[in-house]
Amino acid sequence: MEVCEMKEIARRVRYQVLEMIVSAGKGHIGGSFSCTDILIALYHGGILRFDVKNPKWSGRDRFIFSKGHSTEALYAVLANLGFFPVSELCTYGKGGSILGGHADNKVPGIEVSTGSLGHGLGIAAGLALAAKLDKKDYLTLALLGDGECYEGSIWEAAMFAAHHRLENLVAIVDRNGQITLDYTEECNRFEPFDDKWRAFGWDVRVVDGHSFEALLEAFMDVRARNAQRPLMIIAKTVKGKGVSFMEGELYWHHNVPKGDKLDTARSELALNG
Amino acid sequence: MAKPDLTTGSVTSAPALDMRDACFEELCQIATADRNVVVMTDDMGAFSLEKFEKDLAPQYFNMGIAEQNIVSVAAGLALGGKRPFIYGISTFVTMRCYEQIRVDLCCMNLPVTIIGSGAGYTYGSDGPTHHATEDVAIMRALPEMTIFNPSDPVLTAAMVRMAYKNSGPAYIRIEKGPLPCLYAEQHDFQRGFEVLRPGRDVVIVATGVMVHSALQVAEELSNHSLDAGVVDLYRIKPIDEGALSSSLGQAKRLITIEENSIIGGIGSLVAEIMAGRSRPVPLKRIALPDRFCCEYGNREWLHAYQGLDVKSLAKTILEWK
Repeated sequence: MEVCEMKEIARRVRYQVLEMIVSAGKGHIGGSFSCTDILIALYHGGILRFDVKNPKWSGRDRFIFSKGHSTEALYAVLANLGFFPVSELCTYGKGGSILGGHADNKVPGIEVSTGSLGHGLGIAAGLALAAKLDKKDYLTLALLGDGECYEGSIWEAAMFAAHHRLENLVAIVDRNGQITLDYTEECNRFEPFDDKWRAFGWDVRVVDGHSFEALLEAFMDVRARNAQRPLMIIAKTVKGKGVSFMEGELYWHHNVPKGDKLDTARSELALNG
Repeated sequence: MAKPDLTTGSVTSAPALDMRDACFEELCQIATADRNVVVMTDDMGAFSLEKFEKDLAPQYFNMGIAEQNIVSVAAGLALGGKRPFIYGISTFVTMRCYEQIRVDLCCMNLPVTIIGSGAGYTYGSDGPTHHATEDVAIMRALPEMTIFNPSDPVLTAAMVRMAYKNSGPAYIRIEKGPLPCLYAEQHDFQRGFEVLRPGRDVVIVATGVMVHSALQVAEELSNHSLDAGVVDLYRIKPIDEGALSSSLGQAKRLITIEENSIIGGIGSLVAEIMAGRSRPVPLKRIALPDRFCCEYGNREWLHAYQGLDVKSLAKTILEWK
């Protein structure tokens, strides 16, 4: 798929995320927007192996969406691909919907229930180990938020994955540099973040998380790496990406735009891309 | 120690076997037949686990002291088709990683079994960090969780096999040392509890090691013309409420004895079940008080200190008007 097409899909996904969150009156818009381009690159860039008609296909790659609070973006991506009807997005957060505020593995295409942070990397490591033990060739990929890297369990899993030489495990961190109330470097410093992962025994790539060219280049060889180490891709992103007044602003972690702000957001997502 | 005849309630002597041996020998057999079974430990050993490690090395993982990661990795392995058994000291493999158990195992109803060594005061003088006295309460609160608390080696092996056949998460609390056999090899454990001894005047409900104490207490009470029955509640969750309520409802008075906190253990469980009956049965819950035990001594000493030794238990029951 051409990059311009991916940009158009990303715009549509962000627009759908905005409408879902506005309609439900709640949601995590900032983190959904920061990880949207990563999701599009994985699902539309020929990186992930999946079968829309058979979501449980045994040969599929296992994609663990560890930052489960940004699930609105994943819902939109999965619906657009046909895992479930796009019309289902209108039910998000409403009575009886299958789509709640955090990722649920009962939703077609969602591998693991998440929502509590710091769990996804360990689960992904277990899946990658199971594949190695059974000599299966599926990849396990996990998308983490940077904020959840404050959890000790992430580093327990990081050590475990490197020790067991899980080269079939790829983790991506949506490095938007923000948590709910603060900027990561002002709360508890992560930097040098890449060196931390290298010190734990991972191969590390740092890329622009909003450049499809950079993301696809980083993902290109994930199935054929000549390494015995898990791979960490630190995707540098902007929280709230796509709506000018939200970008980099703490307020838009989980607030819902109204009035003029909503008009502006709608108009920017309709016109951009 | 003594073995009751399940039909007559009479008692014969029985050999004592190590509960961990019973557990891991059974697990070894299961894992030999099913190579998807894996054992994960948080650096906790056991003599009989060494055999597993030696004979089934690719299925054995010392995960290091990282319980949160053990549970999440186990969830991933289960999603990948494996049947993980986690082994460690009860307090650590339930409490340090409680949220991982709740979200990764219970929310997704994955077939992962946690084997906790050291129920109650097993670790005696090691202090409150090692006393598993609230684990029943917290694990009972989790949807999908099955909890086994076996009282003898036969039951321990059977619980391992039942957990293996279970489609969701399970927690088995096992004793560290030897206990005499109460059950025959082919006993049917589906019901979740067993009336080990019938009693006209009072029925004692116990679990785990305290079942043996309860049997001795019943003997002691018979010397005081009090006919006491004993029920072994070896599956704490799920409970066959109808069967248990019906069985306990026959009693004139009920006693629960446990080596757990008074909050949330089997005393609470029996109270919850019996509260729904139209005919009330007087109930006395004997358990540990709602405080940490920072006095040090072996398990026997701690039981005496907390009034859980046979003599104190019999006295408490006799004095209950």
